[in-house]
Amino acid sequence: MGDESVPYFLGEGTTKTYQIPISHLDYKFIEKCTDVKHLEKILRVLRSGEEGCYPELTLVCEKRIECLDPRSRALRKDKPAATASDFTAEEWQAINSELMSWLAEMNEDDKKSQLLRTDTANERQDNLPPIRCSSSCLPTNQNKKLQNKQRSKKNIPRDYSEWDKFDVEKECSKIDEDCEESNSKARFFSRPSLPIIEKKIDTTGMTKREKIFIATREKEKGNEAFATGDYVEAVTYYTRSLSVIPTAAVYNNKAQAEIKLQDWDNALQDCEKVLDMEPGNIKALMRRATVHNQLQNYQTAIEDLNKVLSVEPENSMAKKSVLEIEEKLKGLKPVSEPQGKGKKILIEEIEDSESGEGREENTEEHERHGGDKSSAAAAVAREAAGEPAMGNAHRKSHGKGKAQQDRDTHKHKDSAESGGKKGASKKKSEKHLSDHEGEVNGYLRSDEKSESAEAEEVSTPHREGSQSAGGGSSTSLPPAAAKLKTEGNELFKSGQFGEAVLKYSEAIEYVTGLGEQSPDDLSILYSNRAACYLKEGNCSDCIQDCNRALELQPFSLKPLLRRAMANESMERYRQAYIDYKTVLQIDSSIQAANDSANRITKTLIDQDGPSWREKLPPIPVVPVAAQLHRWDGGSLTSENKPSTTDINREEELQMNCEEPTEKFKRLKNEGNDFVKMGEYEEAANKYSECMKLNTEECTVYTNRALCYLKLCKYEEAKWDCDHVLQIEDSNIKAFYRRALAYKGLQNYQASADDFNKVLLIDPNVVEAQKELEEVTQLLHLDSSAGDGSQQTHGKKITIQEVTEPDERGEGQFATSENAEAQPVAAEEAVPKVVPRRSSEKLRIPEPPNAYDFGQIINALNANKDKAACADLLTTTDPKTLPVLLSNKLEGEILLIFIQSLKHYIAGKNPGLAYQHLFYLSKAKRFKVVLALLSKNEKEEVQHLFDLLTESQSDRYSLEDLESLKKVYEL
Amino acid sequence: MSAVLGPERPQVVSHVQQALSYTVFDCKWVPRSARLMCLGSAARGTGVIQLYELHGARLEVLREIEKPKPIKCGTFGATSLQQRYLATGDFDGNLNIWNLEAPEIPVYSVKGHKEIINSIDGVGGLGIGEGAPEIVTGSRDGTVKVWDPRQNDTPVANMEPVQGESKRDCWTVAFGNAYNQEERVVCAGYDNGDIKLFDLKTMSLRWETNIKNGVCSVEFDRKDINMNKLVATSLEGKFHVFDMRTQHPTKGFASVSEKAQKSTIWQVRHLPQNRDIFMTSGGSGSLHLWKYEYPAQRSKKDSEGSEMGVAGSLSLLQNVTLSTQPISSLDWSPDKKGLCVCGAFDQTLRVLIVTKLNKI
Repeated sequence: MGDESVPYFLGEGTTKTYQIPISHLDYKFIEKCTDVKHLEKILRVLRSGEEGCYPELTLVCEKRIECLDPRSRALRKDKPAATASDFTAEEWQAINSELMSWLAEMNEDDKKSQLLRTDTANERQDNLPPIRCSSSCLPTNQNKKLQNKQRSKKNIPRDYSEWDKFDVEKECSKIDEDCEESNSKARFFSRPSLPIIEKKIDTTGMTKREKIFIATREKEKGNEAFATGDYVEAVTYYTRSLSVIPTAAVYNNKAQAEIKLQDWDNALQDCEKVLDMEPGNIKALMRRATVHNQLQNYQTAIEDLNKVLSVEPENSMAKKSVLEIEEKLKGLKPVSEPQGKGKKILIEEIEDSESGEGREENTEEHERHGGDKSSAAAAVAREAAGEPAMGNAHRKSHGKGKAQQDRDTHKHKDSAESGGKKGASKKKSEKHLSDHEGEVNGYLRSDEKSESAEAEEVSTPHREGSQSAGGGSSTSLPPAAAKLKTEGNELFKSGQFGEAVLKYSEAIEYVTGLGEQSPDDLSILYSNRAACYLKEGNCSDCIQDCNRALELQPFSLKPLLRRAMANESMERYRQAYIDYKTVLQIDSSIQAANDSANRITKTLIDQDGPSWREKLPPIPVVPVAAQLHRWDGGSLTSENKPSTTDINREEELQMNCEEPTEKFKRLKNEGNDFVKMGEYEEAANKYSECMKLNTEECTVYTNRALCYLKLCKYEEAKWDCDHVLQIEDSNIKAFYRRALAYKGLQNYQASADDFNKVLLIDPNVVEAQKELEEVTQLLHLDSSAGDGSQQTHGKKITIQEVTEPDERGEGQFATSENAEAQPVAAEEAVPKVVPRRSSEKLRIPEPPNAYDFGQIINALNANKDKAACADLLTTTDPKTLPVLLSNKLEGEILLIFIQSLKHYIAGKNPGLAYQHLFYLSKAKRFKVVLALLSKNEKEEVQHLFDLLTESQSDRYSLEDLESLKKVYEL
Repeated sequence: MSAVLGPERPQVVSHVQQALSYTVFDCKWVPRSARLMCLGSAARGTGVIQLYELHGARLEVLREIEKPKPIKCGTFGATSLQQRYLATGDFDGNLNIWNLEAPEIPVYSVKGHKEIINSIDGVGGLGIGEGAPEIVTGSRDGTVKVWDPRQNDTPVANMEPVQGESKRDCWTVAFGNAYNQEERVVCAGYDNGDIKLFDLKTMSLRWETNIKNGVCSVEFDRKDINMNKLVATSLEGKFHVFDMRTQHPTKGFASVSEKAQKSTIWQVRHLPQNRDIFMTSGGSGSLHLWKYEYPAQRSKKDSEGSEMGVAGSLSLLQNVTLSTQPISSLDWSPDKKGLCVCGAFDQTLRVLIVTKLNKI
């Protein structure tokens, strides 16, 4: 009974400030209450002490709020600064020692920089940009002019109204080159106003310290941009960082950003750079696997993942990826549908976990940084050694003795543990990484044999080696050289190309030193060394070695192939083409050479146009005798076969071509050939087969659309284009062909829409402009005469005309689909398929808002395309002009309006012209713009008015015109 | 063990406290060194520049320079890493650039304003920001002027109200958007709550807004990138973070605001090593460490199809109270992450260490 009476008694009143029932100031109530706001009020009452002091209850209330809303502002309390007692002894020591080592470092640096300081400062002064406002001055009499300028201009203060001339549209139309390079999807998602940022940093006169400082800062900027999802920007900043000091960590981060941008080629390159610097880098391997997976080089992807797994058997992500890729490999042949699906899921997963990883990498680095810095000497030593990256700290720690390594590992574990949110699997792998540090380095020696393909790849030189060492009649290597060679082969086999090069070089020296004439063996040695160089990416040395080998043994297969590959990767396509062709003369069955030759042909056509063959150096004719001179062939035909397939395999691996992609390419090429021969029916069939293999490739669809167009199957062509546009919503070709298809279907309105889109994407497409004109004419005819049947003849001819030059570009589109450089257009407006002749006034859809309108105007203005401007004006309701122009009216815009009104509209529809002029005068900034018109421009306006006076209309009277003239200050 | 203290949260440690014999207005780390500058006004109405060096757990005075006028603000932003000249603004409206090795005569001097220079910022030096080195000053006389140390006597740009319009006291200025040689903006905050963004490339007023209370401090998260975020703090304890990437034609930039404390927020400074973390210093002697979290999508289309920004959210990482007097100045070390210095009106200079900034 007593228990009950207490709350009753307390529940009588309310608190003074918030009128909370007193009964709410109770443990039970607080524990049950879920209303944070109410609890916050209670807490305030309790803290104020107006109802008495209840420390326990206050604490409970705080805890309850924290549990419900940990970010509640009521929880913020004034706290004193942390002191040593807030940390554990180790933490406190770590904090202090870190600071001390930094201080020591700074002092050291001060002494050094004092010596260097003297003249570097001046050097940089020279590179500075000019002083603002005086940039236009000539350098000769700068001082004089400068002073004049200052008097005339700068002493007059600028007021706010003068700041109003800013043109947002201009800013918006600026597009980064970077953005253009990335593929169309990324392009579409990125904002149109990407800034132009220098890719390189001028580092003249900078000390090493400063360079490190700047490189780190650029990397930080890159990381920040990455965290925000601005991958293009991130890549730019990583590139800048690399331009100052290249480090593996930055390459690695850059690769990740490029993966996000789906820029597979660059990502691959960057991963490889990381692996050059740090052969065991797990992240780079994982990333390279992702890239290979995307490029459909499943075999290589699996190899990389296996490498990861051999170091980190627990890495669940790698395991998963392996499974998925293997599934893909299996499922590849029967159906292509699930492949696309599976791929997508994989990307998602990798992205999810990798985004955490990107950040982790940084923290990890900092962590290591901290660990290393704790002994200043170590840090200095590393600088002295010129070690560029903190990412290398792992390897370094080996040399620095056990203690440091232990600490490193400890730190590492710490970071992994504290990063609990990063997911359990990650944690595990992280720990594992540190545990197996040793293996990372030793791994290349011991574990590489597990990768089948790599070993296979080397088996050729190896066989050569054993063959020759085994004492074939033709080889006469001295035993020492033979031994070096076998060692080299072994090293090559285990992937240690650098060491293999050394061995081969020794062998070569030995053989040449003997002076004995054994061209065969020497040639083989050179060729083997070339293979190593090729593997290392050292193309120029590879070519040199191949040249030597070929001097000794003309027309031998392998050096030729290697030289071709090296040339190709150095983008010396002509030389590469010649070499491949020579190879094919020797042995036409080498598939890889065939494919490569085809590929290069395409590239060369892009590069040099149809007359590319004329620019080629002559292809050497291979003597019949040389065909017997193949190494692997020897005299035994039985050995010939496996070796060529071996080469094929090797080549295939190297070219990153997998069988289905091969088939796809072949089919596509055949299709393209049929198109060239004019057999569109067959071509379409080929393309259809292609689609069975890969539904994602847009070019096939655009190509098939072309065929259908030629075959007058407009409906089908339209479908293909629709499909492409679903995948890639800014595909200019698809728009263009769909426009033609619509035209064929006599849906002129939709056709005009699509042509407009083409022009929006690339205003320089002359064919589209012509077509558009024609279609608009047809449209007018159509709406006036109401019968478009007689147009069929003319229509056919125009398609023929247009597609012919277009077709030539096919190869270009096929190869460089991703690298197309086009400004991003505002493509939000989904093409409206207007039913034909639904109403009398079929028009280009009006731009929906000021932004789009501005975009279009800017595009038109850039080309001075009065005709298109006239089209725009005819479709635009004059009344909306002031709204659409908002405050963007400029002299140039006014001028192009006036001109297009004069040339195109005033004659046909003076009423409309008048209305436009009338509403134009209502636009913002009109007065200002008018005041700034030059004399000639005023005359143009006058002309237009004269024209309007001549051609009367019922929509305006002469008085109207006169009053408007006054508005235009005439 | 450390779990009790919340291992993820950064802690603010007061490493050194140094009592001063004058009122400190501004303090700055000397780039690429363990030294710092302290600027202020001595009791007899003269200006003081002190150069300290951090030695373990104490500060050692290296140099003390006395100047005729109290010094309000200083920056190293427009000097090279080699020279490290200090640019200062004083109570008389003078802009001076000092070589700290030979501080008797300024290397550059101009009577820039009629009244006190409240705020100064520099860009183009220290390898931060592309383009020419420039200094911007904001003064009580209502003008904001941009100076190039290579041009004597006259500013390269001058932003002042039109004749007749009342002059507002300019309290703070900041450079931003200097990601290439042409682009550059100046942001200025005024006593009536106006924030104005001047584009120096096009010489135009790009944007303006009013946050209702006097603007004490503005800073871009980084000066040398395509402008990303701007923080503006106000007299009444609120601060606003603007997402500067997407400018809507009518609505301007999206922003999020947060109330840190009941008193004025004197200054905001972003961590040089991570643009999304910043510290605000308050009138009640408190420091707040914040983190900005981006939204999933930073921009969206409004009903008319124009791009508009989406503001993110703020989370308080740590707060401490160091003094009963306002902390008027704050500066992060550009070289050592987590090291920072602040000067308060209780005539004390504090060197702070903020821990665990890596783990955020």
